[in-house]
Amino acid sequence: MSLVAAFNRLSDNAGVRKAWLGLVCAIFVCIIIVPSVFVVTKVFTDWDLVSGVLGDSAKMRVIGGAVWNSFSIAFIVTIVDVLVGLPIAWILVRKSFRGKRALDTLLDMPLAFPTAVLGLSVVMFWGAPEGVTIPGLGLHLSPYVMIILLHFIFTYPYMVRSLSAILEQIEPNYETAAMTLGASRLTAVRTITLPLFRAGLVTGITLCFARSLSETGGTYIALTLMGSQSSFFTGPTYIAENGGSVLSGEMIVISVIMILLALFLLVAVKGIIGHFHINATKVWPQVGRKLSRGAAPKAKDGLALAFMVLIILLPSFYIFTYLSEPASVDTSALLGSIGISFLVAGVAVVFDIVFGIPLALYIARHHGSKPAAVLDELVNIPLIIPTTALGLSLALFWGGANSTGAVAVVLVILGHISFTYPLVVRNITGAVEEVDPAMEETAQTLGAKPLQAFTKILFPIIKPSVIAGAILAFTRSLGETGATVAISGAVNTVPVYIVNLVKSGQKLADPSYYAQAAMCSIVLIAICFVLMFAVRIIMHRGEDHA
Amino acid sequence: MPEIVLENLVKEYSGGIRASDELSLTIHDGEYLCLLGPTGAGKTTALRMICGLTAPDSGRVLFDGQDLAGIPISERRATMLSQSYALFPNMDVYHNVVFSPVIKRWSEEDTKQLARSMIDMVHMGKKVKNYPRELSGGQQQRTALARAMASDSKVLLLDEPLRALDARLRIELRKELKSMVKEMGLTSVHVTHDQDEAMEVADRIAIIRHGRIIQVGTPKEIFQNPATPFVANFLGRSNIFAGKFVGNDAGHSVIELRDGIRVKARPADLEPGQEAVVAVKVGSTVPELVGGVKDVQDSHLPDTLPDGYFTGNVERVLYEGSTITIETNVKGLGIVSAQRSSRRFEYYKPGSRVIVTWQPAKASVFPMPESGLAQEMRLD
Repeated sequence: MSLVAAFNRLSDNAGVRKAWLGLVCAIFVCIIIVPSVFVVTKVFTDWDLVSGVLGDSAKMRVIGGAVWNSFSIAFIVTIVDVLVGLPIAWILVRKSFRGKRALDTLLDMPLAFPTAVLGLSVVMFWGAPEGVTIPGLGLHLSPYVMIILLHFIFTYPYMVRSLSAILEQIEPNYETAAMTLGASRLTAVRTITLPLFRAGLVTGITLCFARSLSETGGTYIALTLMGSQSSFFTGPTYIAENGGSVLSGEMIVISVIMILLALFLLVAVKGIIGHFHINATKVWPQVGRKLSRGAAPKAKDGLALAFMVLIILLPSFYIFTYLSEPASVDTSALLGSIGISFLVAGVAVVFDIVFGIPLALYIARHHGSKPAAVLDELVNIPLIIPTTALGLSLALFWGGANSTGAVAVVLVILGHISFTYPLVVRNITGAVEEVDPAMEETAQTLGAKPLQAFTKILFPIIKPSVIAGAILAFTRSLGETGATVAISGAVNTVPVYIVNLVKSGQKLADPSYYAQAAMCSIVLIAICFVLMFAVRIIMHRGEDHA
Repeated sequence: MPEIVLENLVKEYSGGIRASDELSLTIHDGEYLCLLGPTGAGKTTALRMICGLTAPDSGRVLFDGQDLAGIPISERRATMLSQSYALFPNMDVYHNVVFSPVIKRWSEEDTKQLARSMIDMVHMGKKVKNYPRELSGGQQQRTALARAMASDSKVLLLDEPLRALDARLRIELRKELKSMVKEMGLTSVHVTHDQDEAMEVADRIAIIRHGRIIQVGTPKEIFQNPATPFVANFLGRSNIFAGKFVGNDAGHSVIELRDGIRVKARPADLEPGQEAVVAVKVGSTVPELVGGVKDVQDSHLPDTLPDGYFTGNVERVLYEGSTITIETNVKGLGIVSAQRSSRRFEYYKPGSRVIVTWQPAKASVFPMPESGLAQEMRLD
C-alpha cells in the first residue's frame, strides 16, 4: 500500500511525469521505430554489397519483378476493396435488417484466420493443386490472379471496417438536408457524404495497401502449392525464399525499395486524398435521379454482397472441408509451436500495453500540438512497412541475424512488438479521445493524484478498448509469418510450422503433409475465433456501459 | 474558508491568444462571486488557474495569503464543477459522491455519514445505486454538487454549472444551487455568460473581458453604475449614444449627440468638447406619445421626467409577457429601444410619433474609448 502511495505522490511531480513520458518515447523510438527502418542505413555502410546487386541486371530484373508484383497487386486489391467495400459499409451502418449482427460478425472472421491458412484454403477453393484430394473449382489461374484473390480476403475486412467507422460519424442529416433541397440520393451522397469520407478512405487504403504489401505466409503457401514459389515472387516471398536474415545485397536492395516505396505511398495517399476535390457544382440531375431508383441501387448492393460471399467468405471457409477426412497431426510438434506462438504474442502484447498506454495518452491529450502530431505519424510507420523487410531490418539492427535459441525468440518478440504496437496505440488513442478530459481534471480537484485519476477513472473507462486492442494485436501476432521467418528460421511459430509442412509436402510430393497443415490450420483458426469472440463480447459490454 | 487573491495573472496560449492579461481579483472569504463575461473572455482559464489545472505564465494565486505555486492540484482543496459535470461513468451515484473521502482514506464510518448527509441534501436518496447515464440532467448536476461538497474542499469552482440544462430547470436550479453552497460556507467562483443568472445568484459580480477584470461589485452597483459602455450593455441592455460633452449643469450633465439634439445625463468629469458616450438602460428609456397624456416613469418619485430630447416614429412593438419593448426609429440616431410594462401595450402602434426621454440620473456618461465605440461594444 505504501508503495502505491509513494507512486501516487510521485505522480504529483511534473518532472517525474516528464521523465516517464521521455522514457516511453525513447523506448518507442529506439526499440520500435529505429530498428524497423535500420536496413536503410545499410545502403550507405554496405555499399559494396548493394552496388554489386545494382550492377547485376539479371538479379535486378527478378527484384524489380517482385517489387512490381507486390505493388501492382496491392494497388488492384485496394481499389477493388474500395469499390465493393463501400456498399457493404453503407448497408452495415445505414440499414437495419434481420441478421445484421451476423453479417457483421461474418465480416470480421477473415481477420481471425492466420493468412498462412488462407493461402492453403484459397488455392484449394479456386484451383486443384496437385496431391490435394479435396475437390476445388479446378481453375487454372496464373499465380498473379491467385495472389490477388488471396489478398482480397484479408484486406477486405480492414476496408469495410475503416469505411463504416467513418460513416457512423457522418450524420445522415447531411444527406437528408441535401435531398430536401432537391438533390437525388446519388447526387447527395456524391457531393456531400463522399467528400466527408476522406479520413476513412485514407485509413482504409493505407491499411489494405500495407497489409497486402506485407503478407508473406499465405502468399508463399499459395505459390508453393502452385509450384511457382521459385519462379514468381512478391517482395516478401522473395525475402522469405532467399534465405531470410542473411545479409546479402539482394536482401538490402529489396527491403530498402519496399520500405521507401511504402513510406512514399503513405504520404502520397494522404496528400492526394486530402486535396482531392469532388466538384459539387457539376451535377447531372437526370442521370442521378435515374440511378438512385429502381434496379441500379439494388444491382450495386447485390453485386457487393455476391463479391463478399464468393470471393471473401467461401474461399476462407473452404479449409474446413478437410474436416471430412481428418488427418493425424504431430501433436507434440504442434503443441510446441503453439507454445512459442503464445509466448511471442503474449510478451509482445504485454509490452504493447505497458508502453502503449502512456504514448496513446500523450497523443490523445495533446491533440493539435506538434510533438503529438509527429508521434502520431511515427506510430504508423511499423504498420505500413512490409513485415518481412521490418523483420530483416530488426535482425540486422540487433546483430542477431541467424541466431538461434533464446536470443532468436527475443528478437522475434521484438519484431512482433514493432508491428503490433501501432494497433494497440491506435485503439487506445481512439478511446481516450472519446473521454472528456474534465473527468480526470475533476478527479484531481477532488483530491486525486494524477496516477490515481488514471487508475480509478480513466483506465476503467477505456479498459474495453485496451482489451480489444490487445486481442487484435495478439491474433495479428499469432498469424504473422513474414517477420518471424525474416528474423530467424529457428523460431517455429504455428504459421511457420504450417508453411514448413506445406513446403515439405511439395518437396516430397506427399499430400499427407497438406492434410496435416490443414488440420493445424483449423486448430489455429479455432484459437483465433475464441479470441475474436472474446473481443466482440467485451466490446458489446463496453457499448452497453457507455 | 479562504480568501482568494489573484495577482497579475498572465496566461498566453500558443497563437498569441492572451486568455489572461494581468488579471487581478480578490474573492472574499465565503463569498459567492460570479465571473461574468462573453465567450472567449478568459473565464474558464481564470478558474483553471485557481485550482491549478492551468499554470499561469506569471502572476500569483493566493489562498489566505499563501502562494499556491508548486502546490499540486490534489492538495489545493479547490474543487471544479465542470459544465459537463464529469460524473465518473464507471461509478454509481454513491461511489461518485464518496470518491474524495475514499481517495483520502477517511474512516468508513465518517465516509458513510458524510455521503448520506450530502446525498440527502441534494435529494438524491432514491438514486444512490444509479449510474450517471441513468440520471436526468438536473440529477447529474446535483450529484456533481454533492460530490464536490463531500470533498472537504474550501473552494468551489463552478464552470457554467447550469449550461447543459433546459431553460426552465436552469432558472429553478440556480437558486437551489446558491443556497446549498452558501449553507456550506464555501468560497465560490461561478463562471457564466448569462447575465440573468449572474444577477440572481451572485454576492458580487466580476465582469471579465479580454482576460482582464473590468469591474467588480454587487449586481445592483454594476447594473446602476457600469464602469464602461460595454458593461452598461452587457449587464442589462442599454441604448448607447456617441456625442460631445457640453458641460455640467445643476445636478446633471449635457451631451450633444448631433446638431440640435442634446441629452441630459449624470454629472461627469469630462472636458467640454470632449468625445463622450452616453448609456441608458432600455428600462429607463421612456418614449412618450406625442400629444398623449404626460407620462411619468416612476410615479413614486417626486420629480417628473424632463421634456423629451428627440422624437421618432415607433417601428415595432414586441410583446414579452410582463413587459413590452418599443423600438423607435430616430432620424440620425437609428433604433432606440425602450422596455415598459405591458400594461401600456395598447398605447403604442407602429407609426406612432413619440418623444424620447429619461431621468438624467439613470444615464451614464463615459469618455469615448480609445479603440472606438464599435470595437468597445463587440460581444465576442
